[in-house]
Amino acid sequence: MRKKKQHIQRIGLVLSAVPGYSETFFRNKIAGLQAQGFEVVLFVTDQSGSIPDAFGCTVISAASFKGSFWRVLIISVWTLIKAFLFTPIRSYKHVKLDVADNFTLKQSLKRLIQNAFLFSQNVTWLHFGFGMLAVGRENVAAAIAAQMAVSFRGFDLYLSPLKHPNCYKLLFKKEVRYHVLSNEMKQDLVSEGVLESAIYVITPAIDVSFFKSNTNQLTRELQSKIQLITVARLHWIKGLEYTLQAMAELKKADISFHYTIIGTGEERERLMFAAYQLDVLDQVSFAGRLEPVAVREQLKVSDIYIQYSIQEGFGNAVLEAQALGVLCVVSDADGLQENVLHEKTGWVVPKRQPKFLAAQIKELIKLTPQEKELIRGRAVTRVQRNFNLDKQQDEFVAFYEV
Amino acid sequence: MEKPLKIAIYSGEIPSTTFIERLIKGIADSGSEVLLFGAVKKKINYQPRVKVVAYKHSQMSKFWHLLKFTTLLVLFKPAEKKRLDSYLKHQKRNDLYTKVKCYPVLWYQPNVFHVQWAKGIDDWMWVQDFNIKLVLSLRGAHINYSPIANSKLAAMYRKNFPKVDGFHAVSRAIGLEAEKYAAPKENIHVVYSGLPIVKDLRTPKKENTVFKIISVGRSHWKKGYTYALDACKLLKDSGLDFHYTIVGGATDIEFAYQINDLDLSNQVTLLDRLPYNKVQYLIMNSDSLLLPSVEEGIANVVLEAMALGTLVVSTACGGMAEVVIPKQTGFLVPVRDAQAMAQALKEVSELTGEPYQNITQQARAFIGTHHNEEQMVKGMQELYESLN
Repeated sequence: MRKKKQHIQRIGLVLSAVPGYSETFFRNKIAGLQAQGFEVVLFVTDQSGSIPDAFGCTVISAASFKGSFWRVLIISVWTLIKAFLFTPIRSYKHVKLDVADNFTLKQSLKRLIQNAFLFSQNVTWLHFGFGMLAVGRENVAAAIAAQMAVSFRGFDLYLSPLKHPNCYKLLFKKEVRYHVLSNEMKQDLVSEGVLESAIYVITPAIDVSFFKSNTNQLTRELQSKIQLITVARLHWIKGLEYTLQAMAELKKADISFHYTIIGTGEERERLMFAAYQLDVLDQVSFAGRLEPVAVREQLKVSDIYIQYSIQEGFGNAVLEAQALGVLCVVSDADGLQENVLHEKTGWVVPKRQPKFLAAQIKELIKLTPQEKELIRGRAVTRVQRNFNLDKQQDEFVAFYEV
Repeated sequence: MEKPLKIAIYSGEIPSTTFIERLIKGIADSGSEVLLFGAVKKKINYQPRVKVVAYKHSQMSKFWHLLKFTTLLVLFKPAEKKRLDSYLKHQKRNDLYTKVKCYPVLWYQPNVFHVQWAKGIDDWMWVQDFNIKLVLSLRGAHINYSPIANSKLAAMYRKNFPKVDGFHAVSRAIGLEAEKYAAPKENIHVVYSGLPIVKDLRTPKKENTVFKIISVGRSHWKKGYTYALDACKLLKDSGLDFHYTIVGGATDIEFAYQINDLDLSNQVTLLDRLPYNKVQYLIMNSDSLLLPSVEEGIANVVLEAMALGTLVVSTACGGMAEVVIPKQTGFLVPVRDAQAMAQALKEVSELTGEPYQNITQQARAFIGTHHNEEQMVKGMQELYESLN
């Protein structure tokens, strides 16, 4: 039996909003920490109005600075007065640290106003759930005498700096413990000058008892009409346009298949038009968003799972598919090549190369049942052993304890 | 003498796009009275035969607009107003904003009401009950892809298109596409967009030290820039010394990521939107204008580039093949094919002066013949007159 922690630590988790039902990563993380005896305080930066019940956590939300000039002015002045009145030492320290980082007094006061909501609680760790949430808040942990942790999830490490050049420059100078999803991300952080010893790789994990395969799934032959599937937001980072091009190649090769995409998003029109123009609209279903149980049932009746992303932190859905004995073909984007081991637990194809993807799928179709069973078996074992929630919880406990 | 036609050209906003503004000017110059309804974005001084009947985006302006035309209709056209009100009520569109839009049109009752954007056609079917002929322009996304992803929109088109009096298709291809939504073939009139042609323009091959490629257009997936960037990667791998500029793509994180991912920072520049004259200057100074789009009616920027003597490499999307004739007026490649795009660009980069100039001169001549403003205005006039 796993041991519970003896001394209660308070973890202040900073997120943009209370995690929704589908945001399993943070929900699992919070539940896991609570189960291990940690107390979790949730700080939310961008959620006004009524805050939903959040897993027995104290939830502190930032003031909303939206609206008319006068509204923003009044809220700002009131926030500033409150900060110096109720948390004078922390406020003073925050301004002092900001000034030491070459912010002007005006800038420092502005940053104080934005961050004052984080001063009200005593926490051992202040953990920013995404890299961008720590930007502008680099001195908060020091001001409240907490240790600082930052999680990078992929999008924030690889895309945000393109939109906001040098956004992590100040953060990377601070004493921070980093959580990343893959070794690839770790190496990329090291190349930014972050100390290797400050970076902890904790991969995503899944509920392996919920996503459990049976013997039939491991030994079955592919269906006569091959069922391909992807679970992803309809967003360009998921590489679905390239995937549809690969589907067109399969059609040209007279392979009988159906491809289902589970997920919603802003690019439905783009993808539907691509499917139409590539003449695979009849072979492709856009199933929309489904509940976890329905996703699992769809995965169970699928032969091949595809995650041909352009950018992907790690890819929970790929773990779920592997756990259910679905053969996985993924791109080599970021953490995916650690999620799936090429030719051992699935196949990894260079990204943005739809012809390669199609060729890989054609090749795997030709494998003998025994070869497919071997890959499925390895994938199931590896996911159950390395990507289960208990292991992840232990790693997070260690992350805060080391 | 016959009374000139009263033509309402409706795009919802005033001023509209460059090509619609050219149409407005041309139709007014040819003797018809032009009415512009909708919301004013910016004040424009039109010629006397253009009448602007518009409101600003403020509540107060909309209120006065409604009050004015409600009063006029109550006093002078009460029966018509009652009929329209009853129609709107039946359609469950009895809100004030709908009346702000519709009452002025009923008051002026033009001979032709020409809707520019197909998605809005359902709002204007009523005009036919008041002896106004309804014309619809078939343009780009509204026909080519939106109804594919939106079955309700497709159903709305199928319901209304058979009743529309006349269609203006910007290309033959888009006309065929509209037929899929029950637009009667005989009602579709292809009238190509026209633009002013600079006379006596010399179109020699540019003397750039690196091969300069340019694309111009908003950052939207339909522009196919991701395929262009994949083609750039192939060009780079082939050793070609080139530079690619996308005017209008500056803020797009997808492009920025792809450039970074493919290590193309030294080869590709993303610029913000620029004024028209600056865009013209950049096109003129580029060796090739690339249109990597996956969908277009006929891309106006290609017409501009051809008129300016810059060699065009275009995908064969929409009606582009009606303008870009392979090796005669430009280079044409299949859609979504980075390899073919890179190959065509490479071929253009290897053209020596004379073959390059042969193509650009033929392209200019083609635009002069098929895409001049006179033929556009004449074509539209003929369409309007054929309905009255």
